Amino acid sequence: MLDPEGQALGDELAALFARGADATLEDDAFHRLARRVFRYNFQRVPAYAAYCRGRGRDAETVHLWTDIPAVPTAAFKDMVLLAEGADAERVFRTSGTTRGPERRGEHHVADLSLYRAALRPTFQAFLLADGARLHCFSLVPAATVTPESSLAFMIDDVQDHFGQPGSRTFAREDGIDFTGLDTAVSAAGADGRPVMLLGTSAAFIHWLDRLAAGGTRHELPEGSRLMDTGGFKGGGREVAPEALRQAYRDRLGLPPHRCVNEYGMTEMLSQLYDTALRDHHQGRSRPRRKAGPPWVRSVAVDPETLEPLPTGRSGLLRHLDLANIGSVAAIQTEDVGSVDEYGLMVEGRVTGAPPRGCSIAMDLLLGGGP
Amino acid sequence: MSETFDAFRLPRGVTAGEHATFTARQLTCRYPLPTQPLLRDVAVALRSAGRALARRPVADIIAVLDDAAARLADRQDPVRRQAQRLVPAATGYSPAMADLVIQRMSDDWRAPALRRLLDAELPDPAALDGFVPAGPGRRTHACGPDLSFHVFAGNVPGVAVTSLVRSLLVKAPALAKLASGEPVLPVLFAQAVAAVDPAIGDALAVTYWPGGSADAEATAMLEADLVVVYGGEEAESAIRQRARPGQRLVTHGPRFSVGLIDADALAQDPVALARAVARAVAIFDQHGCVSPHSVWIEDPGRAHSHAFAEQLADAMAAVERELPRGTISPGEASLIHQERGAAEMRGHAGNGPRVLAGPGTSWTVVLDPEPGFRPSCLNRLVHLRPVDRLEDALDQLAPHRRYLQSVALAVNGARMDQIGHRLARLGATRITTFQRLPWPPPEWHHDGAGPLNELLRWVDLEE
Repeated sequence: MLDPEGQALGDELAALFARGADATLEDDAFHRLARRVFRYNFQRVPAYAAYCRGRGRDAETVHLWTDIPAVPTAAFKDMVLLAEGADAERVFRTSGTTRGPERRGEHHVADLSLYRAALRPTFQAFLLADGARLHCFSLVPAATVTPESSLAFMIDDVQDHFGQPGSRTFAREDGIDFTGLDTAVSAAGADGRPVMLLGTSAAFIHWLDRLAAGGTRHELPEGSRLMDTGGFKGGGREVAPEALRQAYRDRLGLPPHRCVNEYGMTEMLSQLYDTALRDHHQGRSRPRRKAGPPWVRSVAVDPETLEPLPTGRSGLLRHLDLANIGSVAAIQTEDVGSVDEYGLMVEGRVTGAPPRGCSIAMDLLLGGGP
Repeated sequence: MSETFDAFRLPRGVTAGEHATFTARQLTCRYPLPTQPLLRDVAVALRSAGRALARRPVADIIAVLDDAAARLADRQDPVRRQAQRLVPAATGYSPAMADLVIQRMSDDWRAPALRRLLDAELPDPAALDGFVPAGPGRRTHACGPDLSFHVFAGNVPGVAVTSLVRSLLVKAPALAKLASGEPVLPVLFAQAVAAVDPAIGDALAVTYWPGGSADAEATAMLEADLVVVYGGEEAESAIRQRARPGQRLVTHGPRFSVGLIDADALAQDPVALARAVARAVAIFDQHGCVSPHSVWIEDPGRAHSHAFAEQLADAMAAVERELPRGTISPGEASLIHQERGAAEMRGHAGNGPRVLAGPGTSWTVVLDPEPGFRPSCLNRLVHLRPVDRLEDALDQLAPHRRYLQSVALAVNGARMDQIGHRLARLGATRITTFQRLPWPPPEWHHDGAGPLNELLRWVDLEE
């Protein structure tokens, strides 16, 4: 729970979210709201206030949202970023690397209802613009099994809120029940029932590999769709997004516009999605980008100076997520990408210093033991 | 850069078939497809050159290497000019850094350095040419492998050339697979050697293929008697898995280096010390195994840490003007910003780190009071770690001892031995000064062993 002032601001934001992710939020209105959220962050997170003051920024000197100092995602690994006077209702943690116990980023979420209020209209706008109510099959463990996963929380909520009864996950303790998934998908196909598949790209790649190895494919009924997320690594290899969508078509009968990649992170309550399906439902033909709700804005910044770059130029992505009132709204990510009039293009996520010589690779030292 | 660089040099008489290209930052590079027929032809040519090389006195080889290195050392020479142009393009190094590195490293391949190396490792360098007395009733002869396979990593220029030089000194022909990060110097050096002495030049086959080319690796491994691997643990594992019983492996895996400064040294001349630290961090843009990631300063009461951090910051700024940091990728820049921002946030949360930084990502000093060691994200980001007793640093290093290489020590004489002993037991292989840290002498025990002896097989003749 947030303190009373935070609750009030949260309620206002929730009302904004309820207008839906297609609503417009004019620049002036956005900057104004951004300043209010910033002021709240500034007043409630002393470390952040000092960080801002160190950059000559406080409530007086912040005008545009891009003036707001962005906290690097790494800071979420080192400390608790939570508004003073708030209690965390849940703590989400980033997944560790496979190498070992690295410090994990934590997002202490004061108010899960605000999280739900933000994620639902956005999911609806980008995945369910046609109002479909589908059976959801998930490859992500239930939130009860992985309470630290913000993705699990989101998928559970989406299934509960938007899914037909019978929506479920195929993630088990020892892995994913691909056989069960095949059976369920085949049954839906036989009934002509469109389904929605939800999972990480890595999990889908495993499934597709199995189908390919068995020489089988599914023909998902018209109206079916898929949401994947995370890097395009799986089965020990990297798969380009286009190649993955080709595989979704080949093995699942899903046309590319029904395959929507989600871009989110533990540190941010809101999400961005591929625009392809929404554009299709709106009868628009535009380049595929990532876009989000009107309460999130993004900019690519110069990797050297961290100054905002002109439209279309590639740099490090920075987001302002108004839903993050309980922590810090302005986030400097490690993602490389660009922003243009259609949205974001995310080129890749930095996971560690690539070893360039006989010098040590960071994640080797962090993960490995003596 | 519009030109395409031929990132290979093969022995005479070997013709490559099709080529492909790869990009080393700004440089487009061409390489021959590593087909089995090509690699076998290369191996045949190398062994033939090796048989001729075995008959050449090592003094000849030294003279040839010296000539080739002299060309690289001469700023007016076309080979040096080409290197000076291409190394920055491939590595991102500033021209000033490329100039310094090429100049200093070529010293290591000149005759005086080579003779020092031989003298350090062999009781009598003539043992490379034939049997020499080795005690009563015994003579001994040092033999290199018939064919060595070198796998290079990353982009610290010169490391690969040193590996090839060592190989030639022990009369071992070398097949070298270049790293995409720095294909330039080894190729130019091989060409320079061939220009001086074509027969010796034929003992070097330098080329490139993409990492993970299983067939090429397998063929090269099959042909070689000895393999030298630089780089990450994955590269090393891949090679180990392919190694035959009895096939020798020389590995130079990932390493980091550090610095230790005691209270006396800190008090004596902190400005000069700061300058030496800054230079050690800056050289190779901190990418060498010899590059310091962290520097511990003995400062009980923490009276001097902030002042020294500021002195170090000044020195980092000064060295940046003289030796600008090279261009780095957005991902590398991002790591620096993440480290800085997170440290700053921690700093504001209490008695936390203090960050001093140059414009853009050019340099960073993180004064971090929290005990422990974490590697730097490099590109001139150094952690300054104050401790009550310098020995505390050793405790902090212990969990990472497997990867520790060099230690720069600024301590008073009496303590040097004591700390040196403990560092040795910890696993360090080189203890030196900050000034000398970036430039190991040719005869150093590279990761703990004599680099020539690692390649040699000693044959005893008992009379």
